[in-house]
Amino acid sequence: MLNEDRIALMTKMAAYEASQGKRDISVSGFFRGDYISFGVLKSALCATIGFGLVIAMYILYDIEGFLTDFYKMDVAAFVKDIAVKYAVVLVIYLLISYVVYAYRYSKAKKHLKKYLSELKQLEEIYRSEG
Amino acid sequence: MTTLLVIKEQLMGFFSRFEAYIVAVLKFILSMIALLLINADLGFMQKIDNGAIVLIVSLICSFLPMNLIVLILAAFILLHLYSLSLECAVIVAIVFVLMFLLYFRFSPRDACAVILTPICYMLKIPYVVPLTLGFVGTPMSCVSVGCGTVVYYMLGYVKANADRLAKSKSSSDPESALGSFKYIIDGLLGSDKMLLFVIAFAVVVVVVYMIKSLPVDYSWKIALGLGVVVNILVILIGCSALEVELSVGGVIFGTLISALIVFVIQFFIFNVDYSRTENVQFEDDEYFYYVKAIPKMSVEAPDVNVKRMNYRDDYDDYDDEEDDDDELDYL
Repeated sequence: MLNEDRIALMTKMAAYEASQGKRDISVSGFFRGDYISFGVLKSALCATIGFGLVIAMYILYDIEGFLTDFYKMDVAAFVKDIAVKYAVVLVIYLLISYVVYAYRYSKAKKHLKKYLSELKQLEEIYRSEG
Repeated sequence: MTTLLVIKEQLMGFFSRFEAYIVAVLKFILSMIALLLINADLGFMQKIDNGAIVLIVSLICSFLPMNLIVLILAAFILLHLYSLSLECAVIVAIVFVLMFLLYFRFSPRDACAVILTPICYMLKIPYVVPLTLGFVGTPMSCVSVGCGTVVYYMLGYVKANADRLAKSKSSSDPESALGSFKYIIDGLLGSDKMLLFVIAFAVVVVVVYMIKSLPVDYSWKIALGLGVVVNILVILIGCSALEVELSVGGVIFGTLISALIVFVIQFFIFNVDYSRTENVQFEDDEYFYYVKAIPKMSVEAPDVNVKRMNYRDDYDDYDDEEDDDDELDYL
């Protein structure tokens, strides 16, 4: 015998699982700390690549001057200057990433809480059907 | 108002029934407009500045995810720039990679905004995008609208300076080629106007998002109103701070027109639960279910039934007249 309420609930849950639920469920497989750390690590990689590109552009911007002054410049001071700038960019970028990933995790958990309550509801319907 | 609600419901019904086709057609139209605009503005590579190529690529794009469409459009731009000047293509490629690094990390679902921002700029209503994203996106959507703005200004610069950029390609002198990097970077990224719009739009997205999320009545309308005010104020203050020349009337008029458009979009799209038709499959111990769930209509389209009250085909039929009177009383 087909129970229409149960099918409606299952349809709703299957639709969620097929769309947003896919991501939410994968997020829920992580502990909060692990999920955020992993996201922040990926962001750090992106920030490093991005910073490298910016430095490349900076050198290209005045490549003639750079090549002329290269043998005269204090390389250690130059590298230190770049390292400080890299650290500042990285810290700002990682802070933003931390906030974004923490928000995403809490949102996914919120959606999953609703999904779990629907699962319980489904279980009760099954029990009542005997 | 009821008529508008009925139109809204009919749109919902239509969208629910033909969602797969409508999305494909919209993607096709969007990619075609974007490709045509790129070809019209740049058009340096004859091989891809071709109607047939645009049509084929647009058709392919209609079945691709939005983010892939963004990459294809970026590839088109780079191919055109490569034909114009290698240095220019290299710099734009680096800027694109930087933007993608930001965009794919923080707002990968706003691909539509990245494409629509330059298109709206060309239509002189760029303010529509940040105002809309404040409602449908997240604060990180400011990355998408920023990327769109940068792309628009870079393309504008290349279009305006194509002759000079082409000279750097024809020059065989390596020193001249190296020097041209400075000229290109200054031109592409040194625009104060671009910086102003990136900042203004980021502020608008965040302000609209924060206010519409407040648990107060009419928060969406307040958010739209404040979004308009903040947009105008930030742009005008930025104009004087960065010494950018901009038509004040144009900013105010453009923002108001954009707000009107957002208001209409808000009525037809934002307030509606365009729950799409869901085709889902699942199973229990006894059955496999293949379910197509179609969202319900909440306002019924009225059945137009013309009843002629003063028409009698038979004067003697008194009973009929009495029936009509009864119906009038009932109505």
